[in-house]
Amino acid sequence: MNEIHKCPQCGNELPANTPSSACPRCLLQVGLGSQPDAGGGTAPMAPKHQAPDLEEVRKLFPQLEILELLGQGGMGVVYKARQPNLDRLVALKLLPADSARDAAFAERFAREARALARLNHPNVVAVHDFGQIQGLCYLLMEYVDGANLRQVELQGRLTAKEALRIVPDICEALQYAHDQGIVHRDIKPENILLDKGGRVKIADFGLAKLLGKGDRDRTLTAERQVMGTPHYMAPEQVERPLEVDHRADIYSLGVVFYEMLTGELPLGKFAPPSQKVQVDVRLDEVVLRALVKEPERRYQHASEVKSDVETIATTPGTAPPAAEVLQAQAWEAARRQVRPAGTGLLVTGILNWALIVVYSLIGAYVFANLKPGQGMTSFVLAMLVAVVSSSLMILGGIRMRSLESYRLAVAGAVLSLVISPGNLVGLPIGIWALAVLSRPQVRQVFKQAPPSAAARLSLANAALAAPVPGASARGWFFGVAAVVVGGLACWSFSRSLRSLSA
Amino acid sequence: MESTSRPGQRFLPTRWTVILAAGRQSSAQAQEALSILCRTYWQPIYAYVRHKGHSPPDAEDLTQEFFSRLLQKHYLAGLQREGGRFRSFLLAAVNGFLANEWDKARAQKRGGGQKMLSIDRDTAESRYHLEPAHELTPERIYERQWAQALLDQVLKRLGEEYRQAGKTALFEKLSASLSQPRGAVPYAQIAREMDSTEAAIKMAVQRLRARYRELLRAEIAETVASPAEVEDEIRFLFSTFLP
Repeated sequence: MNEIHKCPQCGNELPANTPSSACPRCLLQVGLGSQPDAGGGTAPMAPKHQAPDLEEVRKLFPQLEILELLGQGGMGVVYKARQPNLDRLVALKLLPADSARDAAFAERFAREARALARLNHPNVVAVHDFGQIQGLCYLLMEYVDGANLRQVELQGRLTAKEALRIVPDICEALQYAHDQGIVHRDIKPENILLDKGGRVKIADFGLAKLLGKGDRDRTLTAERQVMGTPHYMAPEQVERPLEVDHRADIYSLGVVFYEMLTGELPLGKFAPPSQKVQVDVRLDEVVLRALVKEPERRYQHASEVKSDVETIATTPGTAPPAAEVLQAQAWEAARRQVRPAGTGLLVTGILNWALIVVYSLIGAYVFANLKPGQGMTSFVLAMLVAVVSSSLMILGGIRMRSLESYRLAVAGAVLSLVISPGNLVGLPIGIWALAVLSRPQVRQVFKQAPPSAAARLSLANAALAAPVPGASARGWFFGVAAVVVGGLACWSFSRSLRSLSA
Repeated sequence: MESTSRPGQRFLPTRWTVILAAGRQSSAQAQEALSILCRTYWQPIYAYVRHKGHSPPDAEDLTQEFFSRLLQKHYLAGLQREGGRFRSFLLAAVNGFLANEWDKARAQKRGGGQKMLSIDRDTAESRYHLEPAHELTPERIYERQWAQALLDQVLKRLGEEYRQAGKTALFEKLSASLSQPRGAVPYAQIAREMDSTEAAIKMAVQRLRARYRELLRAEIAETVASPAEVEDEIRFLFSTFLP
């Protein structure tokens, strides 16, 4: 089917449309390193996933006293060192060797490092110097004697109060860097250092971008993500890496904050912090607003997070505890459900009242002019019962609307089933009201006191009533009683009508 | 002071080690890693299925179905922890699928399942026919196509890096030299064409080659369980092209 030609180098058969440069066998052979002159020239050493030997580093940096290896990771290798002439400790960071090979990288590295070196802030790890030595990029940084936030978290030394102290410092560092146009892109507990005095220092500003951890093309990003820290990345960092701005840092800060408070990552549909641990409920809003998926609905500046957190930390918790707010919300929700049916009852009752007046006038006319005395007693009785039950309906409607009395509400609903203008209006409304009243969340709320003053502030409601224990049982009792009364009323009403027609 | 400090850990987690480590728990991370790997290496599976004698539409459906099943959670749970390579795992999985699941899959409404790959049949077919020697076993086809998919991915990343650095033209001129032995690269000619010096081109070729080898190793590392296996995997893939 396809014409076949041979790779000029190895004789491997290739289809006609394949250039010989794409000969897989040759390409793999280059990878094998079986060609003695391949590669190597620009790489004095290949640390790859391995830290260079201390001796090697000492040879590369004779001006420093290399003391020890502090750690290594995706961002390179870090050594503790001393600058003898200045008599200060520094941290020497060697970037992964594989990133240093091409000239373009060297150029970007120089540009970024200059920008980082300009960052001068008490909460940002200072960059003293940078450069390239034998193709290896390095940064000479302030040495921070302490631990990173991850280590502190793991030791379980972090309290909510401590978190409220740390977060504003992080915000300040972020705001400062954002003002200089620098986005961190890899905010995570490992990059947040705490020195012995408890001061917050953020490390590795902008390195994520430099090393292609934050943006660059999708495949590269995806690879690094899996290896790195996808949980702290803003959604847009994953979905639209080219559109990432400083708000991505605010999202990552939100994740760090959530983790500090709850010890968990905000994955999937996560609960607000105050529902997991005992913290000020006002923090929920701060954390959730930092974690909004859309950058434009998120906090727009780190400084806003800072001032909100500081306000919460310095003012007493006037906000009601979460449980109470939830209760108030349930109360409000039940009220919304109950209101229309309650209004229906109210209207039915009023309609009944109006009809009673009309009936009474007709009855009075009939008894006065046509059939004086006959059956008058039962008619009056029926009217009285109707008056009472209609009034009950009105009262039930009112109390139902304000979630005050379950008993009266049920009684009103049942009465409207039985006694109403020809049962045409009352029957559907009564059924509706009973259906609403039988909902468990509604019944539950009738048993509760209305929300407390503090909770009510936000809900703007001032109904006051004592809790009604056993409301539903008594409600049924009243319902049955209402049916009996209603039946009685019907019976007497029909008797009086019969006597009228007779 | 250092951020991601994990002394003692010499080999950073790769996609395949993340998947292996997740084991029965089948974490979201492992799922993500698996789906990225599957997107890179679906072509070898397609070629394998085709070479087993299925028609192009059938092969396409089977490939889709296979990967969508593979990405369902319970599939990973059967994974054993003791390592192995992703390439072997995928081949074993597709064999199991073809043996047991094909009838069931066929009984279902075709194409009813969720499609996770966007298979362009023309591309898939032309890539399949890239393999000239059809007397080869399906397994050998699979391995060669695997190498091809791997190299495509590496070259794509390499080209992307040059593109980002604004050096697309340089990359296009030099990429042919990647597979050439050093003596065969026409440095002088490229230098004239690029309006540069021979020494600069030599240096650029050297850098390109070094970077290519790193990316190749990194990409292979994603599919094996330990760093020691990288060299071995290159050797193996190379050997599949030997007559």
